[in-house]
Amino acid sequence: MRQLLDIVLLFKEYLVLIACILISVALLATNDTPQIRAIRSVAVVSVGFVQDVLGFIPDYFSLKKENTILRERNVTLADEVSLLRESKLENFRLRQMLALKQRAAFTYVAANVIGKNVQPMRATITLDAGETDGVKYNMPIVTDAGLVGRVIATSKHYAIGQLLLHKDFRVSARVQRARADGILYWNGERCEMKNVPRTHDVKQGDAIITSSYSTIYPEGIKIGVIASAHVEPGALFHTIAVEPTVDFSTLEEVFVITQVPDSARVALEQTRTK
Amino acid sequence: MRRIVSYTLLTVLLVALHSTLVNVISIGTAIPDVLLIWIVYISITSTQLNGTLAGFAIGLLVDLISGNDGMLGLSALTKAVAGFLAGYFYNENMTEQTLAGWKFVFAVGVVSLLHNAVYFLIFLQGTEISWWRIVALHGIPSALYTTTLATVPMFVFRRKYS
Repeated sequence: MRQLLDIVLLFKEYLVLIACILISVALLATNDTPQIRAIRSVAVVSVGFVQDVLGFIPDYFSLKKENTILRERNVTLADEVSLLRESKLENFRLRQMLALKQRAAFTYVAANVIGKNVQPMRATITLDAGETDGVKYNMPIVTDAGLVGRVIATSKHYAIGQLLLHKDFRVSARVQRARADGILYWNGERCEMKNVPRTHDVKQGDAIITSSYSTIYPEGIKIGVIASAHVEPGALFHTIAVEPTVDFSTLEEVFVITQVPDSARVALEQTRTK
Repeated sequence: MRRIVSYTLLTVLLVALHSTLVNVISIGTAIPDVLLIWIVYISITSTQLNGTLAGFAIGLLVDLISGNDGMLGLSALTKAVAGFLAGYFYNENMTEQTLAGWKFVFAVGVVSLLHNAVYFLIFLQGTEISWWRIVALHGIPSALYTTTLATVPMFVFRRKYS
């Protein structure tokens, strides 16, 4: 017994490392139990509070730059508003004529980005809005520039958002001009759109928006523009590189669309796929 | 006990500060890992065993605040390994010399590079993303940046102990 204890003490560093690895692997295998959700909630609240207190620091650094950008954007938006007013009136008339169902207006929750994940490629952000503000799991996150991501965890006053630049992020997207649908994802280096048949006419500069196939993201949200598109010899699909319209390096304020998936539609689609 | 409490508070502050300032201090794909420097410091000043445990705890905190991205345990694992590796630079009689010398920067460099290599090896499982490409694109620049950043505490310690 004493010999065994001596051996344990002799190799304690290795044994502790093995124990840490085993616990980590177990955690990786059982990722989303209620207990882990509760612990995660406590961690998010604790760190979120400190991040909130420290939130002024990046503001100070980027205030001047942001001011210039906002002035420029203001001018552009003023032009766009007048154009949109015209378009809205025209759209209203046309919708009435065609008796189309009026598209539901979404409500938004404004949130500040108070933290970013420090690990490479684990593209998540911490928002200072949570369940008390109406933010729920899987709600889309946007800015005026376009789609940012979706909510993947919430606590009472904070939420974690998964960005478009995350390896697990997928969104059903559409090439606006060609009406070609595909799946947009991050390949570790850039955004790509896959499953767009070669027969579709897609060109550099075409806008990419969310399609109507998604139960999470409303249709028509800007995602990006096509940076390059080509067909590999013998391939059936286009290889499309997409440049996101959102500048993720300067992300400070976002909006959470308080839309939850239509449960009737989800249930029906699940029944059909069984 | 007092040391554990102060280290815990400092860790929470570092995690929050780092995640708040990450935009300001990142250069392209290079994201410095301040927490890794902290783990190396703990390993060098208080044994390999403590470094491993501290790495595990810090990594777990990072995992917990990352939301439900299916990777809970990844940082805990990689940072525990980092703490363990940094423990090889521990020498009870040479702590001050190690911290105030290039050995500390070298330790951060080696640990950071291996940490990133292991991190992406697990992180990219089940994807078509090339490990080599991501290590070249993110892992090496981030490790170099972290190593460069480690010269700051090294010079602080040099001034303190000289």
